[in-house]
Amino acid sequence: MQHRVITFVLLIGLGFGLLALGAGMSTWRLPDHEQGYAPQQPIDYSHRLHAGELGIDCLFCHSAADKSRHAGIPSSDVCMKCHQVVTSSFGVLQEEMGQAAKEGRKPHLVVSAELRKLYDSLGLNETLQPIDGAVPQSIPWVRVHNLPDHVHFDHRAHVAAGVSCQKCHGPVESMQRMKQFESLTMGWCVTCHQESTQHGINGKPVDAKTDCAVCHY
Amino acid sequence: MSRNTNNTYWKSLAERDGHADSESPAPQRAVANGLSRREFLEAAGFTLSLTTLGGCGRAPESTALPFVVQPEGMVPGRSQVYASTCGGCSAACGLLVGVRDGRPLKMEGMPEHPLSRGGLCAIGQALPLALYDSQRLTTPLADGKVAEWQAVDRAIAGQLAQLKASDGGIRFVTNTVTSPTLQATIDAFLAPYQDARHVTLDAVSCSAILDAHEKTHGARVLPHYRFGQAAVIVSFGADFLGTWISPVEFTAAWQTRRAPTAEHPEMSYHVQFEGRMSLTGGNADRRFRLPPGQYGVVLSHLASKLASLAGQAPPAGNLGESPIAEHELDDLVNRLWDARGESLVLSDSQDLAVQLLVNRINHILENNGKTVDLARPSRQRQGRDAAVVELIEELKAGKIAALFVAGTDLTHNLPDRDALVKAIGKTKLAVSFAEREDDFAAVAHFVCPDHHPLESWLDAEPIAGLVSLSQPTLQPLGGTRSILESLARWSGREDSAYNLLRDHWRTAIFPRAKVSSFQAFWDQSLHDGFAEFEAPAATLGDFQMDAVAAVGVEATDGGDILVLYSKVGLTDSRHAHNPWLQELPDPTTKVTWDNYACVSPATADRLKLADGELVRVETSAGVSIELPALTQPGQHDRVVAIALAYGVRGTDRFANIGPQWLEGRPTVAPGERVGKNAAELIAVRDGRLHYDASGVTVTKAGGRRDLATTQEHHSLEVPPHVAPHGAEVRDIVQATTLADFAKDSHAGAPHAHHHGDTQFWAEDHPRTGHAWGLVVDLNKCTGCSACLIACQAENNVPVVGKDEVRRQREMHWLRIDRYYSGAGDDVDVAHQPMMCQHCDNAPCETVCPVLATVHSDEGLNEQAYNRCVGTRYCANNCPYKVRRFNWFKYAHEDPLQNLVLNPDVTVRSRGVMEKCSMCVQRIEEGKIAARQRGMPVADGDIQTACQQSCAAQAIVFGDINDGHSEIHQALQNPRQYRVLDEFNFRPSVAYLRVVKNREAPNGGDHHA
Repeated sequence: MQHRVITFVLLIGLGFGLLALGAGMSTWRLPDHEQGYAPQQPIDYSHRLHAGELGIDCLFCHSAADKSRHAGIPSSDVCMKCHQVVTSSFGVLQEEMGQAAKEGRKPHLVVSAELRKLYDSLGLNETLQPIDGAVPQSIPWVRVHNLPDHVHFDHRAHVAAGVSCQKCHGPVESMQRMKQFESLTMGWCVTCHQESTQHGINGKPVDAKTDCAVCHY
Repeated sequence: MSRNTNNTYWKSLAERDGHADSESPAPQRAVANGLSRREFLEAAGFTLSLTTLGGCGRAPESTALPFVVQPEGMVPGRSQVYASTCGGCSAACGLLVGVRDGRPLKMEGMPEHPLSRGGLCAIGQALPLALYDSQRLTTPLADGKVAEWQAVDRAIAGQLAQLKASDGGIRFVTNTVTSPTLQATIDAFLAPYQDARHVTLDAVSCSAILDAHEKTHGARVLPHYRFGQAAVIVSFGADFLGTWISPVEFTAAWQTRRAPTAEHPEMSYHVQFEGRMSLTGGNADRRFRLPPGQYGVVLSHLASKLASLAGQAPPAGNLGESPIAEHELDDLVNRLWDARGESLVLSDSQDLAVQLLVNRINHILENNGKTVDLARPSRQRQGRDAAVVELIEELKAGKIAALFVAGTDLTHNLPDRDALVKAIGKTKLAVSFAEREDDFAAVAHFVCPDHHPLESWLDAEPIAGLVSLSQPTLQPLGGTRSILESLARWSGREDSAYNLLRDHWRTAIFPRAKVSSFQAFWDQSLHDGFAEFEAPAATLGDFQMDAVAAVGVEATDGGDILVLYSKVGLTDSRHAHNPWLQELPDPTTKVTWDNYACVSPATADRLKLADGELVRVETSAGVSIELPALTQPGQHDRVVAIALAYGVRGTDRFANIGPQWLEGRPTVAPGERVGKNAAELIAVRDGRLHYDASGVTVTKAGGRRDLATTQEHHSLEVPPHVAPHGAEVRDIVQATTLADFAKDSHAGAPHAHHHGDTQFWAEDHPRTGHAWGLVVDLNKCTGCSACLIACQAENNVPVVGKDEVRRQREMHWLRIDRYYSGAGDDVDVAHQPMMCQHCDNAPCETVCPVLATVHSDEGLNEQAYNRCVGTRYCANNCPYKVRRFNWFKYAHEDPLQNLVLNPDVTVRSRGVMEKCSMCVQRIEEGKIAARQRGMPVADGDIQTACQQSCAAQAIVFGDINDGHSEIHQALQNPRQYRVLDEFNFRPSVAYLRVVKNREAPNGGDHHA
């Protein structure tokens, strides 16, 4: 009797579970397999523009990649190295300059909606002066590459070994919105470790170990 | 030959007497028979498919918050290390604070520090847990209610202004203040008042030593003991390796003479006279069981024998009959006399006559200026008990108008609490600077919480001429305020602690250093953490012979003798809020989460006491305490020993620590505290606080309180009835004597039968690269347990609570096995740190059905948590019993304390096996750092957490394959052996045999 009750309860549970998942059927994947994940970010930042067209080096912004396990997301003041001068896209600025020349006035400061968010985070007003009493806030970037807690990936080791950023992150310089390009599963990591040990990286021999404790501790 | 020292080790009296049954100690319950196996599997199948379905959605979105403006030099994910000074006690050891992403996480010893030399004790290791404690006060309190700083300042300033006009007394009570800046600030604060005094109250006072030096040398100083220069050490009760004055420094110095080699088979000779069994006594070469009341008579005999050798007059007075045999005394006298200038006699006694005799003996032996440094004295204990006694009288008489208390819990640490609390009620103003609402703070008018040591600017001068700085490693977590700022503000100067400290250094410290630029001096001191300079020698008078008199045998009324002591890790009631320290098994008794009355086996027999049964200990003054009894081998038969610093206000918070489940029992009963406060039993005699008393009655009280002891947990012994013939006795701890060692450096090695030398994975793992290993020198290891807490901090080891410890479920990756040996009442103690042995032929690896524990190319036995399904086969098959199973998802009792977690180490979940990883995160870090530099890993680049903090430098880690490494050398040591070597597990951890400096194999035939 007890047996049947348990079966019944569990069947109902299974039914509800499937029902709840119905909406997300289109995005089915195995657990922890997030290939193609490209969430909306708080600022519509384009790697294609910065890394691709402008050719800014990855390490300029992700400056910890050769120093720490984390590559690091640039702090707002790093953005300001350029964006205290560049306040909007080049086209918009050029248009305003042309307009100003035509009207014989000084060009207005044009701030794009996206950069406005950056200045907000620093507590700056439209003329880039600090707002009294404004508390600077971090920009809540959404994590794209998110390994499980029991995996310890260290950027330093890979940068030092000469692994290119694109090897794991894909053609970032062509991405309008950042997405997870590779599967980043354990099998994918191990395959690369084995191949690198066999063939070396850029002709340099490496010893990419596949012991569990290289990543799991 | 010397084998006879090997086969006699036992962990508990039950084991020695052959009725230990460590297989089934905890109550077991049959599984309720509600569900058949088939039903269970079906249900499990459904659940599994449900969870799989549930996992098919997106992972929850998580954000990554960068800095708005990144601080210069900070790299996310990297530790920055700051040199500082440990604020755990007044020993003031050198500290390296690892700060990760703004959080101080790991305390390490500072190798350059002249005193602590890289060591750090359990208390120092546990500092960050106390920092992230939500029970620390975050605001000042006025009459127990939350208040604003401004209001409190105004109220206190108002009271003080009235005091200036009147002649009411003002007293400032602190523990020993080693900080020159704090001392100057207190002095400046008290200066304007007519009747103002600074009173020092130490948790355990050394007043008699200072008082004795005042009599014999004309200066009230505490000598700086130099154990490194002592060839013969005779300690009367002083637990200098465990808790006394500056144990890390003393251990670091003591160990330098504890490593005999085949070429130089020499080591110091350490004799301990004591009533209870202390950590130091267990490490002595020769230990005499002697109650504290008889120290004087033995010292009188030593003094008079030595005086006659030196051609001096013996101390005046009659000699009583010595409790120690004449030939023993003569032997000791001869050894001391031969080591003149290289010997050291010391005592923790609070009896002035005893300390005077100690001074006389050191004087005869010409130790002053050598092993006993009086010219550059220690400032680590300054308490003058007479002042404390006077303060109590004044308080009772209502003469004190204002009372300030910092760094000590006045009412907790003194006897007759209720009368004291009543007397404090007579003051107009009582102010506490406590971090938490302690016993005194609860009766104080105002509580002005000081910062945690890791949040504050301060300095220390533990030894005259050695000044160190303590710097903040994070912004204060709450609204606390540095005591320097509070005092300066009430003295009319509003300034930051940094400015106050810097100003004092500019005006008072810098001139002493005799360098040209203050800025350079400050920067260098801040960088190094300390500065050393020549201090003017203390002015000492000629030795006053007349002050010293012989002491006869104390007339006793035949009662028992009480000894109050501090426990390793809990030397001060302020640390009672630290769950790591509460769950630290006492190095000798192995009990956690409690204090208890230690009695000798004979007393236990006499009173028919079993461990955990309550006894009532009553002093001749009629003060009594009821505590569970614990049988302590090696203790004097008339001595009952009780630890101080328990029963601390607020420890009822630990009721719900550890997992809460159906059969779980609270660590402390609701409303109760951890242990009981034994300070009520402190006796005030001759103007001093005495931690021993005679004429005590011990009776069985009825009832019991189970003790959570790890004594018989994880035993490596084999039950005799299942042992194969000839293998009943295992040589887990190997020991020899110096006499035997000098003849044969391999002495002490057993002649066991070896089960082949097959290597399982020789082809898979050729061990051509690194081969990590660990060597532990058991002769240096004192058992102080600093490594245990270092491991806990580094590896996110959870606290499980008293009930789980009782069920053998403590999670410590590194345990310290304590073995006794010896047949009579005099026992020897051996400590053996035991962690995963990383066997080449690991029995755990072959039984894991999911390959969660496997071997690495570098000789590590790896545990992949996410692969583990929790069969526990590995733990069952582990011969060393070092694997720990997560029975629960252990949450921190206090969520703020999650900030202490090391992000380099996975926090393990329920149902997963874990164990020592040989700090693989540090190995990986070291390898990556080396790769970055483009260099091979150098010896010493990688240090395990246990090795780093070891004051005795007993642990060596390194690459066995590196022919120049320290570990390679250590493995060539003739004392080297591996535990259970006869079974050919091929462990990567080796031990160095114990060598006791004695002729006879065992001290068991002597008695005191």
